[in-house]
Amino acid sequence: MAQFSLPQNSKIEVGKYHKDKTNSKNIRKINVYRWDPSTGKNPRVDTFEVDMDNCGPKVLDILFKIKNEIDPSLTFRRSCAHGVCGSCAMNIDGINGLACIKSHSDISGDLNIYPLPHLKVVKDLIGDLTTLYKQYESIQPWLKVDQTGQEKTELKQTQKEREKLDGYYECILCACCSTSCPSYWWNGDKYLGPAVLLQAYRWINDSRDGDKKERLKKVADELKLYRCHTIMNCTNSCPKGLNPAKAIGSIKKMLATS
Amino acid sequence: MKNNNPLSPHLQIYKWQISSLLSITHRIVGVINFFAIILICFWIMLITFGQSNYSIINVFLNTTFGKFLVISLCWTFSFHILNELRHLTWDAGYGFDLKVAKITGIIALIGSFVLTILFYILGRNLF
Repeated sequence: MAQFSLPQNSKIEVGKYHKDKTNSKNIRKINVYRWDPSTGKNPRVDTFEVDMDNCGPKVLDILFKIKNEIDPSLTFRRSCAHGVCGSCAMNIDGINGLACIKSHSDISGDLNIYPLPHLKVVKDLIGDLTTLYKQYESIQPWLKVDQTGQEKTELKQTQKEREKLDGYYECILCACCSTSCPSYWWNGDKYLGPAVLLQAYRWINDSRDGDKKERLKKVADELKLYRCHTIMNCTNSCPKGLNPAKAIGSIKKMLATS
Repeated sequence: MKNNNPLSPHLQIYKWQISSLLSITHRIVGVINFFAIILICFWIMLITFGQSNYSIINVFLNTTFGKFLVISLCWTFSFHILNELRHLTWDAGYGFDLKVAKITGIIALIGSFVLTILFYILGRNLF
């Protein structure tokens, strides 16, 4: 049975309130999840008053503003700031997304920022994705061909075959989908989750790959695959507009018809 | 990872979507229907034991609570059937598009109430 409430050491407490010091007239309250491993205390939610007149358009700009001007100890991952690397995936206003491409003007009221759901927190907004990466490794995300040493030839792909990968190869593995999935929350150790299954489908569907049957067999498992109940939180949260639910549905269909 | 690291909040903070709401409703309603079918089987069995049994249940079902129960069950069955149709189309590989899934979800929800009203009218011989 899944545990629906948070464990005792994860209960969220009321944190500090950082009042605005710039005397700005355009102030917005930003609630940010904080946890510092060095203090041994429970996580808390800090509230920051941010001057929105001098702030960039994206949620990541707010986080930078807080880190640069209010509290330098705020910790979060980011790299490209253009929605390509997937580092700044977090829970923004109740839905997972990339802070760098989410406009804060799209959200009304106070802004709530949490780490990706149901992960072990490393610090503040950083969750531990080790399990997900291990699962990703388990589907062997590389091209497998029967060719041996000398007879290696170019693997050609027609345009049509290539088009089959559209909507799947764009995945940046930001983990927004997997951590939005209630099934993955309760069975994350066994169920592969939308991100990894979408990747699995991407390799199953690659015309150049020679291991399709073996890949299908490996993923056809009560827990690995069929914990997907088409809740569709994954597709709703994907910042790249991909459809993991459809990918999983396609794998199920392939298994049912092969 | 050390075990004393906290777990980030999940159910507590995640915003409900139409799709996730219908999904959990589908499951709850499924459990209710499971027990309802058992009850209905017992009821039918009781009828075979004689008329007096039938009238006892007849009295019960005509109380306010009984009526509420029957109408509720009409809804749970209607909803489960319509939402199961969505699952069938998904299994066939269609309807995964975000907009389509949303529309079919709303149709299933509204349809379940329409079906309930239809059941009620049919049952009351109002046609």
